[in-house]
Amino acid sequence: MKKVLLILFITSPLTWAEEGNADMHHHSHDGHLHDTMVNGKNLEVDVERFDKFMEGIVDMNIAIVSVQGMVCDFCARGIEKAFLKDSSVSKVDVDLDSGKVIIAYMKSKEIDPDGIKKKILMNGQNMTDLQIIKI
Amino acid sequence: MGILKILFFILVLAVNIEARPISYSGGSTIMIKSDSLSNSTYFHYSPSFKYSIGIENTNNKIFKDNKNYIRFTYLLNRKNALNSQRNLYFQSGIDVGNKNNHFYGAHGDWETRRWFAGFGYKNIQSKTNNDYENKYIQFGVAPYIGDYGDFHTWLMVKTRKSSLTKNTSTYPILKFFSGDALVEVGYDNRTNWDLHLMYRF
Repeated sequence: MKKVLLILFITSPLTWAEEGNADMHHHSHDGHLHDTMVNGKNLEVDVERFDKFMEGIVDMNIAIVSVQGMVCDFCARGIEKAFLKDSSVSKVDVDLDSGKVIIAYMKSKEIDPDGIKKKILMNGQNMTDLQIIKI
Repeated sequence: MGILKILFFILVLAVNIEARPISYSGGSTIMIKSDSLSNSTYFHYSPSFKYSIGIENTNNKIFKDNKNYIRFTYLLNRKNALNSQRNLYFQSGIDVGNKNNHFYGAHGDWETRRWFAGFGYKNIQSKTNNDYENKYIQFGVAPYIGDYGDFHTWLMVKTRKSSLTKNTSTYPILKFFSGDALVEVGYDNRTNWDLHLMYRF
């Protein structure tokens, strides 16, 4: 028994939560929110939810993050907390249905994809895609 | 418990089963548990989502003793998928008052927004009392899918066995959570109440 647990413990660093997945793209988009992106990819958000999120938001950069493993409200709490600690973030929305996190950044803030990816990973989930919209 | 059975639990059931979530980096959690075997209060801090350290005060109802364990929990493996998450944890603890009193074990989980399955195994070594094992499996279904921030409900069934009492019991559990608070309530006419409260900071 002890040997089994010891082996699992030792080998575990080799079997870590796979960090991020391939197929991660960063997009920048000015203009209509529900349009196709400049690269032909659709903006993959719940339109009604996104519109509600955007109420009152002007002059912001919006990051739409696709996340894997975000299946539980209780487990996703850390994501919201981590982003709200950033003083340049004014609003965060977690959509468990579509696996998206929407973050509104101050216009002056240059969105850092690696920073977002790290924050998601620190909560134990993986970022698989990122779309950036300038409002 | 034989090695083959443990391997079965860890390598096979872990694919289909779920347990308790681990804190995010920098998060703290307090848990209060009470069942027919013990009452415990456990506080832990997670420097990383991969592990947590904490202290647990346990009052054993069978041996009528009290112990304070330094605990360490390590996330051995996590698989994030689009609609599911699977975890396997190693857990251990050592009594502050006597290092010969310690425990180790594993628990795992698999979860979607609708389905939940989990298992746990714990081997408790004691200098003053008999050594014993606790193990459980747990399955659940969410009767409705709530949005982020809603009040969430799970209907679950848990089967638990302890070598201390030699009882195997299967009983229903209701699990609720909202925001940072989680409550699990189970009842069995042989083992009575199984309560678990959790709050995450």
